Formats: sequence, structure tokens, C-alpha cells
Amino acid sequence: MSDSTPVDASSVPKVEEIGATSGPLASASFFIGAHCKDYNEDFMLCKEENRDPAHCLKEGRKVTRCAFDLLAKMRDNCGKQFEEHWSCLEKNNHHYYSCRKPETALNSCMFEKMGLLKTIPGTPQGQKPIHERTDTIIRNVQK
Amino acid sequence: MSTSTERTAVDSSISHKVSIPYRQDLPPAGGFAELKYKRNLPNKGPGSVVFLLGVGALSAFGFWRLGKSNQEKVELEREKIWSRIHLVPLLLAEGDRAAYNARQVDLAAERAIMKDVHGWEAGKSVYNNPKYESPRIELR
Repeated sequence: MSDSTPVDASSVPKVEEIGATSGPLASASFFIGAHCKDYNEDFMLCKEENRDPAHCLKEGRKVTRCAFDLLAKMRDNCGKQFEEHWSCLEKNNHHYYSCRKPETALNSCMFEKMGLLKTIPGTPQGQKPIHERTDTIIRNVQK
Repeated sequence: MSTSTERTAVDSSISHKVSIPYRQDLPPAGGFAELKYKRNLPNKGPGSVVFLLGVGALSAFGFWRLGKSNQEKVELEREKIWSRIHLVPLLLAEGDRAAYNARQVDLAAERAIMKDVHGWEAGKSVYNNPKYESPRIELR
């Protein structure tokens, strides 16, 4: 998708693209949301000002750098749990409910090592979030 | 010889008549046993009320479980939606950079092609509207 021949490369600072595929991104998305909240919100507010791709390049670079940084830290701190979770997601059509066991391990590791907590906004009051429940009806039929 | 055969035939006819005594065919003493013509299907197992309540209870349990799983589905959907919302800025930023790069390449090509036309502004919109509009023509 990216073009290798920009006209004035000097005016645009280089940024390393995230390069992760859908599985790792799906696995890390809640931590990206928690870790890069400020950059993400800044970028989205900028996009609301103007939809021109040229308008929010600076904010966009910050977003990508933050996510890249988070993925690197995840790999350093919880590499094993991270890989187990995303490979499980890859095997199970990216259904979170099929991979609760590796997810719990990853979540607790991320909270211990990096202080990042997975929260799903909009969960009804007084109800356990779906990723922390063990007595769910919807689950994998095959073991 | 002939006479002896006649006698035998006569004798046998007479003896036949005599040997069977007369007997009226009558019901046995005390009459026949009563005929069992009525349906005899004894009630076995649980009754209809038990079945009705049982099926009702089973259905109630099933619907309760269905409701629970529907609530779970809503929460799973919420989880999925938020996982994608968190990725929107990242993916949009990457796409924006690619679009910006492609646009710069296009503008350079346009400038090179139209360099002999006096007063040509590369990439100028045909509309008098500052609002951004994604390009409609692929130059490459």
C-alpha cells in the first residue's frame, strides 16, 4: 500500500510502520487503547477537524510510534503469553471467547509488568466484564 | 359271497345309527365366562399433568439459558467493537501516510505533465470548496 517514492522525503520524518498482522493487533488492541489513549484521542480529534491525510501526519506518527513502542514492550515483558494468545486467536477465527485461558495469562502479566488493564467500556454496572467470566454459555464446542 | 357283502353293508348302517347318542349343545354349567370386550389399558408411568409441567419446566430453563446467552452475545460484540475502535487511529494513521505519499507522487507527475501550460495549478480542486475530498482519478 505504501509508495516507496515520496517526492519530498526530507519534509516528512520517517516512521517505522507497525508491521503487525491482525492476530497480534487483535491481541494487543486493548493495551494499545490503554497505553496510547492520549495520542489516539489527539489523532482522532485532529481527524475530526479535517479529513485531509496531510492534516494529521504529525499526530499519526505519534500514534504509530506509541503502538510500536507498546508492541516492543509487550514482546519484552510478556512475550510468551502474547504469542500464545495471538496464535490462539489466529487458530480460532479471532474469537476472543475461544482464547480466554491464554488471554487471562496475558492480562495478568500485562497488569503486573506494565500496569495496563483491559477494560471494556460500556459493560453494565455491577456485572463482571465478559473477559473475566468463567461460567459463560458461549464457548468453544470443541476442546 | 355276494350275500355276505350285502349283510355287512346293512349291519354297518344300523350300527352307525345306534352308536351316536342324542346330545343338545348347551353352554357349560354356570354359563360362559364373561367376554373381555372392554379396553384394558392400565395407567402406567407419570400422568399428563406431570408431563405438561415437565415440558414446561424444560422449556422455561431453555428460554432462560437462551436469554443469558443473548446477553453474553451482546457483551462479546461490545468487546469485539472496542478492540477494533482501539485500532482505528493506528490503521488510519498508516493509511493516511500512504495516501499522502501517493498524492505527492501524483502531484509531481501532474506538475511534470502540465509544466508547459501557463497558470496551471497542480492538484487544484475543480470546486470552490476548501473541504477535503479524496482523489477521484488514479493517475498511475
